[in-house]
Amino acid sequence: MDVLHNLAFGFAHALTWQNLLFCAIGCTVGTLVGLLPGLGPLATISILLPLTYSIPTTGALIMLAGIYYGAQYGDSVSAITMKIPHASSIVACIDGYQMTLKGKTGLALFTAGVSSFIGGTVAIVVLSLFAPMLGEVAFLFGPADYCALMLVGFVCVSFVTTGSLLNGLAMCLIGVLLGQIGTDVNSGQQRFTMDFPFLAEGVGLISIALGCFGIAEITKNLDNKDERTPFNGEINLIPTWPEFKRIIPSALRGSVIGSFLGILPGGGPVIAQFAAYAVDKKVSKYKHEIGSGAIEGVAGQAAADEAAARTSFIPLMSIGIPENAVMALMMAAFIIKGIQPGPNMIAGHPELFWGLVASMWVGNCFLIVLNVPLVRYWLSVFKIPYAVLFPSILFFCCIGTFSVNNNLDDIFITAVFGFIGYAFLRLDLDPAPLMLGFILGPMLEENFRRALLISRGSFGIFFTRPISGVLLSVIGLFVLWQLAAFFWQARKANVARGLANIAPASLEG
Amino acid sequence: MNDRNLLRGLFIVAISLVFGIGALGYQIGHFDRPGPGLFPLMVSCLLLLIGVITVVRSRFVERVPVAFNVRNIAIILASLCGFALISEHLNMIAGIVFMVFCAAFAGSSYSVVRNLKVAAGLIVVALAFQKLLGFNLPLY
Repeated sequence: MDVLHNLAFGFAHALTWQNLLFCAIGCTVGTLVGLLPGLGPLATISILLPLTYSIPTTGALIMLAGIYYGAQYGDSVSAITMKIPHASSIVACIDGYQMTLKGKTGLALFTAGVSSFIGGTVAIVVLSLFAPMLGEVAFLFGPADYCALMLVGFVCVSFVTTGSLLNGLAMCLIGVLLGQIGTDVNSGQQRFTMDFPFLAEGVGLISIALGCFGIAEITKNLDNKDERTPFNGEINLIPTWPEFKRIIPSALRGSVIGSFLGILPGGGPVIAQFAAYAVDKKVSKYKHEIGSGAIEGVAGQAAADEAAARTSFIPLMSIGIPENAVMALMMAAFIIKGIQPGPNMIAGHPELFWGLVASMWVGNCFLIVLNVPLVRYWLSVFKIPYAVLFPSILFFCCIGTFSVNNNLDDIFITAVFGFIGYAFLRLDLDPAPLMLGFILGPMLEENFRRALLISRGSFGIFFTRPISGVLLSVIGLFVLWQLAAFFWQARKANVARGLANIAPASLEG
Repeated sequence: MNDRNLLRGLFIVAISLVFGIGALGYQIGHFDRPGPGLFPLMVSCLLLLIGVITVVRSRFVERVPVAFNVRNIAIILASLCGFALISEHLNMIAGIVFMVFCAAFAGSSYSVVRNLKVAAGLIVVALAFQKLLGFNLPLY
């Protein structure tokens, strides 16, 4: 019953007029920006982060969380209606867009909205039960364990977001190195600052985020010159009863899968969607229809998406280690507000933790209103031509960079990272792991040095402690498996090439 | 030479060398008393390893050309820098107008009337930020 008591306490904080307003603003703005082409949750949060600087802590975090899951919702709307493949809603493009082609856009949007609501609700129950429990476990973690956990996060995120362990890890490490720029906290030595005074405090997080996600994305879209066909906006939202009945089981399955996968390192919405979709394809009563515009194909993944988006807060708030790039940005926002996420947060700032949990449910209600009855008004966003949109996004990037320190020179740094981000993009390197590396880098170094101090310079500490030992062996096994897979594929390709060489020769013979 | 996999490897190697050589300039220390240079040096070595593997691997996989469009990124960066310079020396309203007109060159069509409308809209938004949200923008 402790949980109920705590939740009531949380609702008392979330339901003040002020926080309700912040939640509503966050959800609305998040959905709106999430709808725009090429702007996923990461870009949305980094552009809007500066807006929360002048807001009180609890309100600011409630608003940011609202922006985050609002952007998730908005993404699925643009995926269903326009087949705009956002990083976070790839799966919604499959069946959702098929339903649009069949003229069932309204039904698809209704399904996505209701399933997301179910997913969000299940995830909040999981969040309020498990976060405090995991927080207790986190007290067992020593510096070596934290290092190992961060490395697990790097490996998982690298693999999940980019599909290529090498590229992802490279980006993580580049992020860690960028995080090294500035003053070393242990010795006071200035590192990699090239004697520029403005680098003494390190590179600004917002500059990197806006450069890599804002500027680079805009340029990519301009390069593609994709003219979007405006959506005609003819939708019928109300489903029939049999259609409605088909949503529920699939959405519940998706919620459970999403809640679980959201907690794991490297997990989060993307992988949860794929898993839920795959499970639906195996066990659903209508599995033969999935892929050609079935309700289940939309419901399961939408629920998993939303559930994972919320449970991924668990590792951040209870252990203090963000498990994916979006959560890393969230962590930066917590730190900007003077809150260190971690095992002490729930005890030290209960109003913040429980207020945030409660506000997620409030936000859920806002979103279902915004996305089901009002969705037709949102669709007019798609009528804005890109020629109007991209100067506006550029402007927001500038204002966002400027308002961090009220310094116009920061815009030059953003421009530099815009160029680097564009180069990354063209070299097929995903900037999301870079963000994670950049934010975790200083923590990793701190814990690494502390662990070595404790063990008097022996690396044995990383392998003899049970938690870090297990985590590091998981990484080792994973790397071995990747190596084996690469060589196996290379051999198969060689054999195939060999056969192709033999075949013409034997024909001639 | 125009091979995305190879260039990626070289790019990673270059970054690791820049940071690795930089790290050698700081005190390395010992493992039981790490100096400021130790951690960046270790990370750079790991990155160098990944870069070298990427280069080697690029010899065995199919070549993909890089599509690097200099024009658009140059226009966008020029409009950003122009915005910062003009806001610094003149004021931000002029900066916004410059940014909109300069950035529009990257679009698929150019229209002065549309640019004026966009600029006017953004100036209104900036004014709202300044007056309502308390942002400290040097608008005029």
